[in-house]
Amino acid sequence: MIAILGNTLLLMSFAFTIYGILSASLYTANGNRKFMLSGERAILSSSVFVILSTIGLLIELLRSNFTLEYVARYSSAETPTLYKFSGLWAGMQGSLLFWVMILSVFIILVIYQNRNRHQKLMPWVLITLGAIQLFFLAMSNFFENPFTPIPAGMVMNGMGLNPLLQNPVMLIHPPLLYLGFIGFSIPFAFGMAAMITGELDTVWIRTTRRWTLVTWLFLSVAIIMGGRWAYVELGWGGYWAWDPVENASLLPWLTGTAYIHSVLIQEKKNMLRIWNMVLIMVTFTLTIFGTYLTRSGVVSSVHAFAATDLGIWFFWFIILILVTNIILLVVRRKELASVNKLESFVGRESGFLFNNMLFVAMMLTVLWGTMYPILSEAVTGTKITVGSPYFNRVMIPLGLLLLFLTGVGPLLAWRRTTTRSLRRNFTLPLIVGLILTGIFGAVSKITMIYPLISVLLISFVAAIIFLEFFKGTKARRRMTGAGYFRSFFELLEKNRSRYGGYIVHLGIVMMFLGFTGKVFDKEADLSMNQGDIKTVGRYDIEYTDYWLETPETNPDTRSNHAAKIVTLKISKNGSYYTTLNAERRFYTDQNNQPSSEVSLKATLFEDLYIVLGSLDLHSGNAILKVRVNHLVSWVWLGTFVLILGSLVSLNISGLIKGKSL
Amino acid sequence: MSFRKKFILVVIVFGLLTVAWISMDFKSQEVPFVSVSDLVNNNEMFRQDRFRLGGNVQEGTIHYSDDKLTVDFLLEQGDSIIPVEHTSAAIPDLFKDGAQVIVEGSYKDGIFYADNLMTKCASRYEEESKYTSVSETN
Repeated sequence: MIAILGNTLLLMSFAFTIYGILSASLYTANGNRKFMLSGERAILSSSVFVILSTIGLLIELLRSNFTLEYVARYSSAETPTLYKFSGLWAGMQGSLLFWVMILSVFIILVIYQNRNRHQKLMPWVLITLGAIQLFFLAMSNFFENPFTPIPAGMVMNGMGLNPLLQNPVMLIHPPLLYLGFIGFSIPFAFGMAAMITGELDTVWIRTTRRWTLVTWLFLSVAIIMGGRWAYVELGWGGYWAWDPVENASLLPWLTGTAYIHSVLIQEKKNMLRIWNMVLIMVTFTLTIFGTYLTRSGVVSSVHAFAATDLGIWFFWFIILILVTNIILLVVRRKELASVNKLESFVGRESGFLFNNMLFVAMMLTVLWGTMYPILSEAVTGTKITVGSPYFNRVMIPLGLLLLFLTGVGPLLAWRRTTTRSLRRNFTLPLIVGLILTGIFGAVSKITMIYPLISVLLISFVAAIIFLEFFKGTKARRRMTGAGYFRSFFELLEKNRSRYGGYIVHLGIVMMFLGFTGKVFDKEADLSMNQGDIKTVGRYDIEYTDYWLETPETNPDTRSNHAAKIVTLKISKNGSYYTTLNAERRFYTDQNNQPSSEVSLKATLFEDLYIVLGSLDLHSGNAILKVRVNHLVSWVWLGTFVLILGSLVSLNISGLIKGKSL
Repeated sequence: MSFRKKFILVVIVFGLLTVAWISMDFKSQEVPFVSVSDLVNNNEMFRQDRFRLGGNVQEGTIHYSDDKLTVDFLLEQGDSIIPVEHTSAAIPDLFKDGAQVIVEGSYKDGIFYADNLMTKCASRYEEESKYTSVSETN
């Protein structure tokens, strides 16, 4: 019943969106306001239908209605309730519906925010968003319908959720990623509207500024959470492997980050108007391309869904977007030409341009490496892959250059910077950087060039940022006579976007520290019997005990799996440090599909990372993979700082007080 | 020369440098996806040292060393078969008889030394599931 309702709503929203697009288009032709209102209401209703339809699917998942193929495929009676929610995005059909649901929520918000604004832009914004919605609705209705009943009638139980997805991070990562992808539709739609109407000043940029920042924040956090998931769930010991699907999420992030920087120049100087348009178009296209890459099966990956014929539709959708964009750019090229000119290599404008150049170069590097297997197969007939060595070789130097700009760029003056101001701003940080790098080199005895440069830049940039805060606070204190603490917060309050930006940069610097820690990583494969003690780095690992837990012995905690568990007593530098249980699970609703749970003891400087590869319950022989990962915590800590900085920039308190997005 | 031109020049030079940097060592990072028979019979036609192979684990050929850290098995792809050796404590969860796997590593004297063993996950996983078998029987 609910399924039929959901399906009907989905079909209705398809029809309503078509009507809405037509009606809004008529308004642009004849100027009769009624058509606009009617179109707006149609798309609003369509969006509400999509949301209701999604709720319907969720209800079916929660009450385990296995007459639906989708529900039977991605959940079972034993699936913990929490993870029945993840069923919504575990498969192709659900995630397409989920996708269009988020877009629908955004559309409702955009229509509400702009109900009395941007009368010229809005019809085209509505048409653009409607067109995107229509594409996904068509996919959802006619190709990958989540409400398809099981052909053979009722099955007793579903297949259950893939154990890899049964992790708390996987409850948050996919929705965040979708928010981060789909959010770029909004600035894109406004950009399109600006191009079509010729309203090419900064209105479209300023009105979507917050949308873009919020979207960027979601995407950033989602990418890092994906890394966190790989780290704690996949058990190979790292958080980033240049897997095609990881790359797919990184591509729009790179151009999106370039975009949020370069729009600042347009706002301040009215320059780079074509460039910003190109960036937002590329970013949006990459979000669709990323979806295509992961959903079509053109590249094989751990995360990719099975190959489907959906790919061809995505392909043509992308072509359509690109062709429309190029035509619009060609038509408007004269009006988009910028008025102001660049004047110097050492000015703020040039800093931003170099920043953009690096981001785009990184994007192309990742795109090339990701598509290389497909391209090489098309050209030579042999599929040739390039893995981490390629990506690291190119991305590390580019990333370090970018890190350098992170520190230097914000301190450059508009137009041109004098040598005197360069010296004044950068001498102290450079000294701090050199001293810390010297200490680091002496202590770690590392002679590799990249880690040393990385440490130099990390300390240089961090020193610059701290100095900026210190100088600003001091100046404010002199002006108002308030204490340091209060001056500091007033400083933030008065110049949110600037200091919020600094905090985000600080978060990025912390992450770079985490990335750099990789050079110290140690790994050992151990075969141990009960009572054995083995040493990895500074850790002595004693294997003290092992046992089995099953759904019968522990019904509350292990409703859908059995677990083999070993206890490891760990000493560090000779004294007791901690006790870890490493476990290997066998999911009973999944043909006893095994899944290793990583056991992790994380500190600020070192993570002890243990995976139970196998355990023989008769002899007690356990195979363990032990890794000592360095500085990984800084990646996660940096993320929190990044979030904090973004929130400062976004002026959350203002947002709550009802300022528009 | 106007500043604008200079800037464009800088961008072009940077672009060329990046491309040069990428292509300088590109061949050595290439890992071709080859068929088992090509690797065994036409080994001399490849310039690369590292390869990827795909195929199925032949039933009953999985064998672990005494310390259980090294696994060897026969990889079959069509009519071709190649012995594979792989050392790791963390064998992928889906590795078993008949599993579809991808191995990456080097080939020497008739044995493929894989430093990376990947099991084909999502799609395979759906095919094997009990639900699909129910619908297949109907």
